[in-house]
Amino acid sequence: MNDIFQTVFLISLLSGMIRIATPIFFAALGELIVERSGILNLGVEGAMLAGAFVGFVGGFLTGSLWLGVLLGIMAGGLLNLLMAFMSVTLKVDQTVAGLTINLFSAGLTFYLFRIIFKGFGSSNLPNLHTFNVIRIPILSSIPFIGEVLFSQYLLSYIAFLVVLPGIFFFLYRTKYGLNLRCIGENPEAMDMKGVKVSRYQYLALIFGGMMAGAGGAFLTLASAGLFVSEIIGGRGWIAIAIVIFGDWKPFRIMLAALFFGLLDTFQLQIQGIGVQFPYQILLTLPYILTIVAVAIGRRRAGAPIHLGIPYKRK
Amino acid sequence: MMVLVQDIKLAAKPLILLPMSQEEIKEIILRVENLSKSFPGVLANDRISLDIRKGEIHCLLGENGAGKSTLAECLYGTYHPDSGKIFFKGEEVRLASHQDAISLGIGMVHQHFQLVPPMTVMENIVAGTVHKGIGINIRQATEKVEKICRNYGIELPLNNIISQLPVGQQQWVEILKALYVGAEFLLLDEPTAVLTPQEIKRFFSILTKMTRAGLSIILITHKLNEVMDISDRVTVMRKGKLIDTVDTADVTQENLARMMVGREVVFLITNEKVPPGETVLEISDLQVVNAKHRSLLKDINLRVRRKEIIGLAGVSGNGQRDLFDVIVGVRKIASGKILLDQEDVSNSPPWTMLKKGIASIPQDRIEEGLLMEAPIYENIILGIQRCAQFRSGILFNRRKINAFSREKMRDFDIMAGSPLQRVDTLSGGNLQKVILAREFSQNPKFLLASQPTRGLDVGAIEYVHKCLLDLRNSGVGILLISEELGEIFHLSDYIAVIYKGEIMGFCPTEDTTVEEVGLLMAGIRESTP
Amino acid sequence: MISIFGLTLEPRKKTSIPLQTAAILVGLVAAFLVSAALIATAGANVFNALGYMFKGAYGDWDAFVETLVQATPLIFTGLAIVVAFRAKVFNIGAEGQFFAGAMAATWIGLHLTGLPGPVVWVLIIIGSIIAGGIWGFIPGILKATLGASEIITTVMLNYVILYIISYLLSGPWREPDQFYLQTAWFPDHCRFPAVVPLSRLHLGFIISLVLAAVVYLLLWKTPFGFEIRSIGINPRASRYKGIRIKKTLVLVMVISGAIAGLGGGSEIAGLHQQLRLDISTGYGYTAIIIALLGRLHPVGVIIVAIFFGGLVNGSTSMQINTGVPVALVHCIQGVVLIFVLTAEVLATYRIRRTEIDE
Repeated sequence: MNDIFQTVFLISLLSGMIRIATPIFFAALGELIVERSGILNLGVEGAMLAGAFVGFVGGFLTGSLWLGVLLGIMAGGLLNLLMAFMSVTLKVDQTVAGLTINLFSAGLTFYLFRIIFKGFGSSNLPNLHTFNVIRIPILSSIPFIGEVLFSQYLLSYIAFLVVLPGIFFFLYRTKYGLNLRCIGENPEAMDMKGVKVSRYQYLALIFGGMMAGAGGAFLTLASAGLFVSEIIGGRGWIAIAIVIFGDWKPFRIMLAALFFGLLDTFQLQIQGIGVQFPYQILLTLPYILTIVAVAIGRRRAGAPIHLGIPYKRK
Repeated sequence: MMVLVQDIKLAAKPLILLPMSQEEIKEIILRVENLSKSFPGVLANDRISLDIRKGEIHCLLGENGAGKSTLAECLYGTYHPDSGKIFFKGEEVRLASHQDAISLGIGMVHQHFQLVPPMTVMENIVAGTVHKGIGINIRQATEKVEKICRNYGIELPLNNIISQLPVGQQQWVEILKALYVGAEFLLLDEPTAVLTPQEIKRFFSILTKMTRAGLSIILITHKLNEVMDISDRVTVMRKGKLIDTVDTADVTQENLARMMVGREVVFLITNEKVPPGETVLEISDLQVVNAKHRSLLKDINLRVRRKEIIGLAGVSGNGQRDLFDVIVGVRKIASGKILLDQEDVSNSPPWTMLKKGIASIPQDRIEEGLLMEAPIYENIILGIQRCAQFRSGILFNRRKINAFSREKMRDFDIMAGSPLQRVDTLSGGNLQKVILAREFSQNPKFLLASQPTRGLDVGAIEYVHKCLLDLRNSGVGILLISEELGEIFHLSDYIAVIYKGEIMGFCPTEDTTVEEVGLLMAGIRESTP
Repeated sequence: MISIFGLTLEPRKKTSIPLQTAAILVGLVAAFLVSAALIATAGANVFNALGYMFKGAYGDWDAFVETLVQATPLIFTGLAIVVAFRAKVFNIGAEGQFFAGAMAATWIGLHLTGLPGPVVWVLIIIGSIIAGGIWGFIPGILKATLGASEIITTVMLNYVILYIISYLLSGPWREPDQFYLQTAWFPDHCRFPAVVPLSRLHLGFIISLVLAAVVYLLLWKTPFGFEIRSIGINPRASRYKGIRIKKTLVLVMVISGAIAGLGGGSEIAGLHQQLRLDISTGYGYTAIIIALLGRLHPVGVIIVAIFFGGLVNGSTSMQINTGVPVALVHCIQGVVLIFVLTAEVLATYRIRRTEIDE
């Protein structure tokens, strides 16, 4: 009896790990590209929020979840376009610009939510039917692994099997990826070679926003089925920490994301079992772990040299 | 060579373009007609007209601020000229971007290297170049680069990471970057700044090979001896104007110096030596390592006495920065001692070193020495802000601070309206004066001066040198770290050479020559019989 | 140089103060227009809505006093941000430090009830300063010793303390027989007195003004404050000139946290007299906007805080009378910041027609 219980627990844990890691992973991959171009974008939380909100509204009003996801992705990209304008064109301090984007997104989504869903109150929030998990035929019947790896949301498959290898290929096997990496290390060198640095940074930010938007849309359309202003709950910040912890390398970032997903799922599972421990304290674990990660991960060698420094042609 | 000046005004030569013969016109690869470029408050290029012949090495000579780099950047597409025309290979061209220049075959190597340290030489060369497809064919690119290297006799390990290469070799990566994309015309901005005299010889011989193969080169420099050594013709610029273009064979260094500065230039050394006092700073057996335990400084032994200047010569990147940081207290020692007036201050933090009487002039005044957005008075008290003389009780007394600042501004001839003026409105020379005022007013026992005249015009250089000599004569011991051999020879009582973190030699100035020092700078020790 | 839409902007040599001010005003006007558009999306008449907001904020004495009540926590947290940002220490944790101070104040106000009122007030002030200081110390020491990004650590600690309080309010500190998560109320003598009789404006407001003066003196009139600003302008030069960077960074975080904590304590003792989760509507984050708009200067902070307090205060009247959600205020705050930042940067440039023919 205990064995079955343990196996079930383990399966839920590992399968939950992938599921919970997905939104953070999307955002982290997007932020990786942004930071490789030299921009330290702190507005990830805001972009995820935009994606979550617009995704939810889109899905709710049109009835199509995928349309919601698409709209959420666009919303994230659009918000980061604003970030690009402020930090690349105007060269506003990147930290200030990113924080501003967060505050702006929080205010705007909060306000628009109140307007669009006027009739609803906090006791009856608007909700929708979320995505269904996609069980890959045959593979998902494999005991244990089938449950864990092959019964996930389509968005999760996309994140781990499409976006991740895509980003790896882009960064290390294409000339555009090489240019991008060089821009993050020495934008002046690339400028003098005729590479349009601003264009790369704009595109990187838009891509990053789209990824963050996808992550946010995942939270409302696959996980929760509803929208509250606190739904992102700091995951945008955790995504930024994961990029540092993963030393700006795609596969290590994946490992870091999975680790966080594991921890988060763990505390959920513990609650479910009914262990006598204040669940709120368990909830602090991911945040404390992020602090630890940032504290020990700081000496990473992989940080782009020009990260966070606006490029001004002299 | 260092020069001191006396004031005799000489006018700029009027701009008359003489008609050229057919052969001369065919030979010209680049022609600039009345090019002007200005920035807010500064006319950097004023109706410049010149032409470059194919296969020549043409030097662009002038002091800092003459407008040489601006002209080059206009030719490379970094800046758009306000007016004037550029003709390349006979046709008028508009260089709106670097891409335009590169596709015409114009390449530029800037004063400050633009390399990506964590990547390999090949990656640095290939990145950003235009080629078909989305992938990178490193093998093909490597073959092409190897061929270029063979052609000109350049030796370079192509798969090494930039950060592992010595500075002299990094220079070649910059040039290969241009040659790889087919440059026929090279703009080289102060390329010998980081080379030893021997490396400069080798560099020039390869340049000559290139021009014989058909390349044309503009070499920007402020070093008269290089102009004489390598150029076919030289164009002298001063304060944005073109003074003259002459055949190098027809002029002397004195002619050029006069054209460069506009005043009668006199080669004088007015450094009257004084007998030294007791030892103020002694460094013995200093070993410094970095976080990965790689040796940065090895077996450093130096002694500086009061009333003397020790000049530390060396190409940048050979440990000067680490030595500076150690003496100032910002970097830790692995072993060895630093004694200040016989007191052991090894590994003391910066605030202790400051208090004990060590003053310092950093090599990059803007990045390391000044608070640019702050007013002059805040910069002057930086480091001594806790002194009771600036306070009434626990709060600052602005009247006392202002009075102090005004006094310093007077003493050091700092051209500004008031101490409240922001420092980022000051010129390079005035910025350095602010730093001098600050450091000298702290009555130091010992001054560490790193590249104190970098980027300054001749007038400011003269002033700084005078200040250093006066300070020395007043009883302070000075360690002068400089890449300008002329400055070292002019000011120092003793010369030491640093190479790869070790002291290569130490002797009185009068007992050595530029050639000897140059050898040591390149790491070639004298063989002792 | 910036090139947008065929226009070239080149940097001015010097941007005069009148020009900067004009730029900020233009930014505010632009923000106002956007806000008007947002109000319109709520289906309300713009002038109507803004009219009610203005009246609700400054229309009469009572309204103005209530505006000051709303401004008080913003002044505290805004000052906290000023101290930190001046050293380029990006303390995003003012929210958590605020709550830390609130926690300490709550404990003192509910447990040390045997002491006379003024003594309790002093203890509350000291306690909330210490609690906020501790919550600021943690990210400070991590940054100084391990180089951990204070941006991330402070934000994380915001969530951590929220969950801690949530636990306390649902368990050990919970007021029995109450539906909502809250503590018991302070006894009367422990509450901060009102400074305007029969209003909600409490001692905390006076404390905040005094604190603004203290922060000004600290930053501009003391050597230590000079060192703080120096680090923010050029940390390398500061280090070379003997300023103790690590020690100062930690102290800055402690001071910043302490100020925010004091804000939390004052809000509890002066306004709410109990601890709940909703005592802050994101003051720690709004503070960033306030500090930036206020040019990182105490006087600027007070002005902007009162303005924002007016927005909050007036918005309730606006919602009641026109149905525009109170949430508009957060929106406007973000919009204002974006436009002012943009206008500021643009003011340092001059428009020049892009040269097509050279």
